[in-house]
Amino acid sequence: MKIFETLTRIDRRIIFLALGGLIIFSLLFPRFLKVRVFPPVAKLYEAVDKIPPDKALILDISYGPQYQAECEPMAYTVLRHAYKNRTKVLALSLYAEYLGLAKKVLDDVTAEYNRNARSRDDSLIYGRDYVFLGWQPPPIIPILGMGESIAGVYQIDYYGNQTDTLPLMKHIKNYNNVSILVALGGGTGSEKWWAQFAQRKFGLRVGAGCSAVLGADYYPYYQAGQFTGMMVGVKGAAEYEELASSRAKITAERVASERMLSLTYAHLIMIAFIVIGNISYFVTRRKK
Amino acid sequence: MNFDPWIWIGALLSLAIFSFLYKENPVYYVAEHIYIGVINGYLVTFYWHNILVPILFKRLFSGMYLLIIPAFIGCLYFTRFIPRLSWLVRIPIALFMGYYTGLFIPVTIQADIIKQIQATLLTTQNFKMWNAGALGIVWSVILFVGVICTISYFYFSREHKGALRVTSRIGIVFIMLGFGASFGYTVMSRVTLLIGKLQFLMGDWLGIIK
Repeated sequence: MKIFETLTRIDRRIIFLALGGLIIFSLLFPRFLKVRVFPPVAKLYEAVDKIPPDKALILDISYGPQYQAECEPMAYTVLRHAYKNRTKVLALSLYAEYLGLAKKVLDDVTAEYNRNARSRDDSLIYGRDYVFLGWQPPPIIPILGMGESIAGVYQIDYYGNQTDTLPLMKHIKNYNNVSILVALGGGTGSEKWWAQFAQRKFGLRVGAGCSAVLGADYYPYYQAGQFTGMMVGVKGAAEYEELASSRAKITAERVASERMLSLTYAHLIMIAFIVIGNISYFVTRRKK
Repeated sequence: MNFDPWIWIGALLSLAIFSFLYKENPVYYVAEHIYIGVINGYLVTFYWHNILVPILFKRLFSGMYLLIIPAFIGCLYFTRFIPRLSWLVRIPIALFMGYYTGLFIPVTIQADIIKQIQATLLTTQNFKMWNAGALGIVWSVILFVGVICTISYFYFSREHKGALRVTSRIGIVFIMLGFGASFGYTVMSRVTLLIGKLQFLMGDWLGIIK
């Protein structure tokens, strides 16, 4: 019985140490876990995969550093998938503070793609294949305004170019020329706004990639068809990476998949502590 | 090991923040104060260069004088620091609240209430949304029962007796399942942050992992 009493008073620092130690161990000895793909991610993948050549993908990258570990792998894998299919991409961020992270993803994936390009036609060229629209305040205004005219809302892009002079923007006028919008966000709830405003008013298909904190809140939107598909947390990103690897044969680094082993270990140890804690509590309570 | 000074600053500050897990200590407080100072300094300069200068001052000085009105209303926020004039702060707050209330009420009713109710109805289309074949009906019925029972739990105009007691008890089960899912997802999110930070420390800083 004494052991159960000791377990109910276990120091929180031992739990932190066990958790940290296990994650460090899994990072030192990495191993890929096969990820099972669930319908919300599969549907998002299908929607991005089947974007017609005359339509574009809008990628809203609106996460901050606090959600970078979860949302950045989503941004990388969706963008790689779109580029692989030569889908036209318009990137933006609803928040000025997050533009740096959005630009990082765009620059990295574009450079990665162009390293393997053999000719100019084969390369991704700014203005022809992709545009970084940047940011316009406040968030709701561009969401509504782009339904009428994208170049009207974003008159200049992130780099200061007149948007309507860019070749891509001559074809992509408003949501009618956009196949799907993928909104990646952390704690701001911006993904929901796309469904509430753009999907409801203009019928734009919206895919979401969110921090796991918001996962439970967003499933009703998926269930109601307001989100075409969704990725939740690093698990969602790993599922998308799995599809991108197996179906689109994208061979890039799979950051989210690498994190799944650490995540699994962390979950297992937490479940173990919860079970031990509960058993100890009930045993010692009965004794009292 | 990476010798980039910025990586070192990031790594040492991360360790300082982690030291709080052991116990409160001066190193943690130094890192915390640095963080608050840096984020405030960053945001003030960021908003100055990215919002106030290009959207307000440049346009104002190029002849769009009507912008004086929103600029003046925005400045009324600062009257909070002058007790005699602090009531004026209600003007920008009222405008702000009016704008967002008007914008969000119809949207919330349509997208968050009507659309969600539609998704709860027992229709063939909703059965298909589950991607579960014939089981779609079962899941839809569970969803329907869950919604009705959860709503009945929040019906406080009558004492929870008889049928209402049964439905509200079932409602509690669904509420607990919802809380459990939220908690599980929150744990996943926070653990991912820890993994990301440890990857930074072990990879970008120490270079012992790829």
